[in-house]
Amino acid sequence: MDTHLETRALGKRFGTVDALADVNLTIERGEFVCLLGPSGCGKTTLLRIIAGFEQASHGDLLLDGKDINDLAPHLRGFGMVFQSLALFPHMNVADNIAYGLRLRGVAPARRRERVDELLHMVQLPAIADRPVSALSGGQRQRVAIARALAVPPKLFLLDEPLSALDAQLRDNMQIELRQLQQRFGVTTVVVTHDQTEAMMLADRLVVMEHGRIQQCDTPTQVYRQPANAFVAEFLGAANLLPGTVRGDGVIDLLGSSMRSSSTLAAGTRVTVSVRSEDLKFHAVGRAGSAEPQGIAGDIEFVRDLGAKSELIIRCGDERLRCHGGDAEFRSAQVGQKVALLIDAQRCSVFAA
Amino acid sequence: MKSGASFRLVMATLAGFGLLIATLPVVVIVIMSFSGGSNLDFPPSALSLRWYGAALNVLWGEKSEGTMSAFSAMSTSFMVGAITMVLSVLVCVPMAYALERSRGRMRQWAELVFTLPIVFPLVVLGVAYLLMAEAISRETGLELGLLRLAIPHLTLALPFVLRNCLSAMNGIGVDLEEAAMSLGASPLRALLHIVVPLMKPGIMAGLIFAFIISFNEFTVTFFMYTIDVRTLPIWMYSRTVSSLDPTTLAISTLIIALDVALIAWVDKLVAGKGSLF
Repeated sequence: MDTHLETRALGKRFGTVDALADVNLTIERGEFVCLLGPSGCGKTTLLRIIAGFEQASHGDLLLDGKDINDLAPHLRGFGMVFQSLALFPHMNVADNIAYGLRLRGVAPARRRERVDELLHMVQLPAIADRPVSALSGGQRQRVAIARALAVPPKLFLLDEPLSALDAQLRDNMQIELRQLQQRFGVTTVVVTHDQTEAMMLADRLVVMEHGRIQQCDTPTQVYRQPANAFVAEFLGAANLLPGTVRGDGVIDLLGSSMRSSSTLAAGTRVTVSVRSEDLKFHAVGRAGSAEPQGIAGDIEFVRDLGAKSELIIRCGDERLRCHGGDAEFRSAQVGQKVALLIDAQRCSVFAA
Repeated sequence: MKSGASFRLVMATLAGFGLLIATLPVVVIVIMSFSGGSNLDFPPSALSLRWYGAALNVLWGEKSEGTMSAFSAMSTSFMVGAITMVLSVLVCVPMAYALERSRGRMRQWAELVFTLPIVFPLVVLGVAYLLMAEAISRETGLELGLLRLAIPHLTLALPFVLRNCLSAMNGIGVDLEEAAMSLGASPLRALLHIVVPLMKPGIMAGLIFAFIISFNEFTVTFFMYTIDVRTLPIWMYSRTVSSLDPTTLAISTLIIALDVALIAWVDKLVAGKGSLF
């Protein structure tokens, strides 16, 4: 593998608060990495340290093996798309995109060529001479991306780039952004708090919380095998249930027992994470049906989401959220008694 | 309905009264400057342009009594105004930038300090500057020249210019500078390419304010002027004291016209399309 960017035990203190602690991250050349986490988790600080707008308090930041922590941002040659987009309001589209080229002394004719090339690439031909204020949200977004890519950047950084767009446009831009990144083959780091966006865009997710990396893996791995309860909950509305290990991998859960591959010692308190789409249930008490196996519960809430239904099922003190589109979900009624089935294969177990 | 009507009547009366008080001196002076008589009786018995002729003659005419000093007073006024303009912007643009970027208490303190000249009695300010200027020329033998007036004028102009520059900095986020830097601009280039152009309307408004304040200033200037360095308001004052004729009023009207034109320009710069003029 070809390491492009590496952080070693990177940390950042603001006063007495550790905004980042012990961040070890290796990014391969051409990789698309998403820094994902709730607000205040340190993801933006990490991006700003990579960009050079903040300095790490300790640790190393290596680009191609060379320490760049003391290198001024304008000498790093990274393209960045800001959350606010930060288009220059006194320049038109072409001047915005060509600003980096102008600084590097590229001749005006060549600059214009490159601007047209980039505008074509972001599918906005023929707007070069418009003022920035005359653009729609989606157009601004593309201009900001084109500006960051005008001088081929060593690293492409994006801070919540799509947060200002409406859902439909955001969806399209995610696909375009991904295609653009693959076409350029540029190493890319995106900060986002939107897990769907992160899953859609990235080769690798870096899930952060409290200034620390919680898990760093492919989206599929992070989703299927979350490293801890935080990651499980943050990526896709998992239900976190308290349980106790009884021994031999059997876990007491919701007054029932579940066989798992967990190797934790007997008596350990655990948190079991079950995704809302992995829960199944049967209606009980219906005439003619045999008494099914499962954890007894009541349906407390039903919501039709179109393709799927969302339910909340109460089992004792716990309320579980379930998603599904099959007949059982379709016919669910509030107040109905159900038997809940938890597939141990699809659960993750963490020491509490 | 009825109470609404009487409320409007009261408001209109008050507004009219305020407007009258604000404009009355100007109106009187403008009317008097068109007087046909040779004294200052108001209202004038006849109208004419003779005092404008006299004013132009005093300022630019053949060398006669007072002509040279009036012309030199006017050119001094323009030069001191220009120096004040340039100095105030050179001080205020970096200051506004620094204050805006360093949020926190420092900004409030600095704004307070720069507002002080507004609340100082001008006479005290005049005395203070006179003492300082005398001390400087006595101790160092330096000839201050036009700076003798331009520096006190700078003090008086700073609050207004700083305020204009600060409000001009308002919408200019750090992210714009960072964007420029990420594209390869050094911090200084980011400042010159991005921040300064965006501040331009505010800077222009500040320049004009500084000029108007300097050009109209009398009290502090009265302490500071010398035989060689004196401004148009000082000349007008001494002329009015010695001979009461409407020539000075014609000059005043010309100055008022200049001020109005400049203020209209400021309004256009600051308000943009929503401008009054």
